[in-house]
Amino acid sequence: MELLDRYLEAVRKHLPWQRQDDIVAELRANLEAQLEEKEAALGRPLTQAEAEAWLKQLGSPMLMAAPYQPQQYLIGPAIFPIYRNVMKIAITWCAIIYTIATATTLLIKTPHLADFFHALLNVPMILITTAAWVTLVFAALEYAMTHHRVKVPGLNAPAPAWSPATLPQLDPGAFPGSKPPSYAKAVAELAFGYFFLIWLLLIPKHPYLLLGPGAYYLASLPYRLAPVWVPAYWCVVALNVLQVGWYAYSLIRGRWQKPQRAAHLVLKAVGLVPIILLLTAKDHATVLLKNPALDQARLGATLNGINQSINWSVALICAIAGFQLVLGIAKLILNAYRKRAAAVV
Amino acid sequence: MTLTENLFENLRLELRRGCLTLAVLAQLRQERYGYTLRKALADDGLVIDESTLYPLLRRLEAQGLLASEWREEEKRNKRFYRLTPDGEQIFAQLLQEWHAINASIQATLNTSSNSTL
Repeated sequence: MELLDRYLEAVRKHLPWQRQDDIVAELRANLEAQLEEKEAALGRPLTQAEAEAWLKQLGSPMLMAAPYQPQQYLIGPAIFPIYRNVMKIAITWCAIIYTIATATTLLIKTPHLADFFHALLNVPMILITTAAWVTLVFAALEYAMTHHRVKVPGLNAPAPAWSPATLPQLDPGAFPGSKPPSYAKAVAELAFGYFFLIWLLLIPKHPYLLLGPGAYYLASLPYRLAPVWVPAYWCVVALNVLQVGWYAYSLIRGRWQKPQRAAHLVLKAVGLVPIILLLTAKDHATVLLKNPALDQARLGATLNGINQSINWSVALICAIAGFQLVLGIAKLILNAYRKRAAAVV
Repeated sequence: MTLTENLFENLRLELRRGCLTLAVLAQLRQERYGYTLRKALADDGLVIDESTLYPLLRRLEAQGLLASEWREEEKRNKRFYRLTPDGEQIFAQLLQEWHAINASIQATLNTSSNSTL
């Protein structure tokens, strides 16, 4: 039957090349037996239309051949949970490192809006590249495990080694059963905040409270702090006043047991102000010479080095604080979204 | 096909998949070639598509549960399959497991129906 020959030839094209002849021969024997039985029942050969209907019922040649192909996963179920975890970690750390590195670079040199947008546009490509590398490594692992029977330690173990003691601690107040902060702790926080504020206010007149005996040594050096430190200092003071005020308000209103993520985020955001003030100091000069006319030639290079080091450190702190703020906001939004989704369900 | 029908179809196929292997192994305690095997299964109420059955036979053979040989019958070369000793052993174990699962489900159903009465 010509139609059956054409069908089998079409099936052959989709079969694994090493076993094509064998599979087609078997299919032919089975289908011809089926055809013979049909024709015997009818007492005549099948018409063209009947033959077409029969072959159509068998399924397209590609569909018929597909199950003969070996089952191959890009990443199989055995290693998929590990792949997903590694992917999460890789993407998160890639985003953290890129954010810190880019923010530091942008803050050190005079940033332009174009640089910022360029850095932002690079994010998807960097994350996709990371994901692609992780996928490639796991696909190679899957291939090695399925084709060369490679045993990977840990993957074939009956159960991954873990201990309940290593489970992460619960976020205080995040779960209904977790212990809320005590009254004593809330009072201690207020008292500590108050004394810290007093200590902070005393520092300008009594720098040894911050630096110890080092304050006398620093006073003898030919350097002094730039005026930009004054507004930065008062911002820090204002931040602490805000914090102590918030502690006192929470205590008076009996709200200290409730999670205060939004308030913490506001404090974190305000905490960025003094850092940004230092970063945007004119010529990045946070330290100056006491007698520039006298010491500029001798100490100018050292001064530049000091200012550059301070600037790098402050930029790094700014990047980390900024990232923490973004992470906090993202968590807050995610929690709100979860609560909303749970309410809908 | 509605969502519920689609879900049912997927679950039905999942449920059937393991049973098909068991049914094929059961039939191949006696030597058969592809088409007669398919007919025997259909006669017992288990209709299987050609594109499912024939590749399944190859897989079971590759796993060492079946052995096959080409032989001429009624002037046509056919590939006959039968259980290997390993296949017989695994079939017995699978059958035992299948009976245990059936008994468990039946017990659960009985408990449920008693508690609702």
